[in-house]
Amino acid sequence: MSGDTKISIVLGACTAVFLALGASFLTASRSSPAPAPAHPLREREQVAAYAGTVRISAESMLKSGGDASALDCYACHDEKKTPQISRDATGQVILPKDHADLIFSMRNCVSCHSGSRAVKLEIDGDGNTIIPPAHAGDLVLAHGKADHNNNACFNCHDPKKLNELVTRDGTRLKLSEATMLCASCHGPTYRDWDAGMHGRTTGHWKRELGGFVRESCTSCHDPHAPAFPALIPRPGPRPAPNAPAARSH
Amino acid sequence: MPRPPGATDMNENLPVPPSPAPEPASMSRRSFLRGSTVMAAGVAAMAAGLAPLRKLGDFGSVDEFLQAHYNELSPDQMSTVLSRIEGEVQRQYGVRPHVRDLKAMNGVEFVYALNLTRCTGCRKCVHACVEENNQSRDPAIEYIRVLKMPNGTFDMEKGDHNYAPESVPEPGFFYMPVQCHQCKNPPCVKVCPVKATWQDPDGITVIDYNWCIGCRYCEAACPYFARRFNFSEPTIPKEQLNTNMSYLGNQPRHKGVMEKCHFCVQRTRAGLYPACLEVCPTGARKFGNILDPHSEVSQILKHKRVFVLKEEVGTLPRFFYYFDV
Repeated sequence: MSGDTKISIVLGACTAVFLALGASFLTASRSSPAPAPAHPLREREQVAAYAGTVRISAESMLKSGGDASALDCYACHDEKKTPQISRDATGQVILPKDHADLIFSMRNCVSCHSGSRAVKLEIDGDGNTIIPPAHAGDLVLAHGKADHNNNACFNCHDPKKLNELVTRDGTRLKLSEATMLCASCHGPTYRDWDAGMHGRTTGHWKRELGGFVRESCTSCHDPHAPAFPALIPRPGPRPAPNAPAARSH
Repeated sequence: MPRPPGATDMNENLPVPPSPAPEPASMSRRSFLRGSTVMAAGVAAMAAGLAPLRKLGDFGSVDEFLQAHYNELSPDQMSTVLSRIEGEVQRQYGVRPHVRDLKAMNGVEFVYALNLTRCTGCRKCVHACVEENNQSRDPAIEYIRVLKMPNGTFDMEKGDHNYAPESVPEPGFFYMPVQCHQCKNPPCVKVCPVKATWQDPDGITVIDYNWCIGCRYCEAACPYFARRFNFSEPTIPKEQLNTNMSYLGNQPRHKGVMEKCHFCVQRTRAGLYPACLEVCPTGARKFGNILDPHSEVSQILKHKRVFVLKEEVGTLPRFFYYFDV
């Protein structure tokens, strides 16, 4: 066999392999990829449920004589220096001006709707909970942006036992371990919180000299409407003595 | 040796007629009266000239006036000064405060970080600071200024600190609180003609209120409008006085001295977080020791995108702003 024949056979084989690879690439790129297995939402299961949070202003809460025991007042107040509560002539609590913007959002449905007063939630076609007309104003489900929300109760709650949580990978958590549930979706935020870069930390910066408190996710965020609520701003600077005069003498 | 004519030998045996005592010129009746009149007029003129000083209610005590510079006070002298201040505050406000002279800790350099993504502009920090640091309520002195800035710019000219909407945050704006940046290269310290302000080893620029002469050079030198001047005697309601005091921190000031944010030395040098951080509802404020690699501020400077205000003026602030992206 001459050298020329050998070269043409090798070149011919290379060309064939190249053409075959090109053909397979073209067919692969034209056909659509195999669909990912659907992650079923468990919302559709009809279960008597008490999900959702009642967002109620401090004023209406005090007027209704509601139970404030579940509220985390001490997220801000020092437990040893309990704030003095002042009452008017009829015995009603006078709400401090600072708290006119306070929303008591940590009241779960179950704190009222328990036992014989249990309610059955209606679910619409998209799998979202229908808010009953009685709670139209104060039951807020607003987790995520409007077009991309996570208002499906059983994405986080265990359908069989609502006061237990379950992550998408099936890990069961208690309500007090909610941080890890939040972390299962909000990874970068959890990483920041863990390093002390996100969220409120109060007390001692020098840990050897005393304790400190690092608030967990649900101390500041209502899990059912996590956006931080708008606040009434405290008064701005009064005309400062150092400010330039508005007009001359 | 020839003698001049008329010169006689003083014979000791001869009686010498007693010479009259030389008359003292200044002691004559006339000159005495004249001198004492002039002297009395001089004293009266001096008293008249000093009379306005009696009306200076804020002039303070003699001890206060004669007090040495902070860095020259011995421990004994300092404890005398502290008890004098406690007494003066008790006389003025009716409560006995606890005044300490807290020194910088070893191996600590304070840094502040503020998350602009989280700040909602609620101004709770401004008012917590006023209450913690015994600032004058009228005229109102506030160390923190919260600027409402339109999205997409850091042009300070577009900032507004008088915003008063129904609720914050307002869409299209972000909020930037500004206070003393505790610069590593502080222009305010350089311009002080009497060394009444200096930088401590933990990075806090402090003021000896007793030594300050009120020339306001430092206020003019600060590129962040961080310093405030007491144009009149500060007023604080008695029941609102914070009795946990530090000499270089929140002891009550007098008319005519400068004051500014000192990272709450009465708290932070005792290991606590400053008052503005404690009250922040969103956790936008972070504070700690930059020399500790595990502190929150060290983590932020390592992992977040931080910037300092007016970097180009070369003040090297210890106050960093950052974002959550």
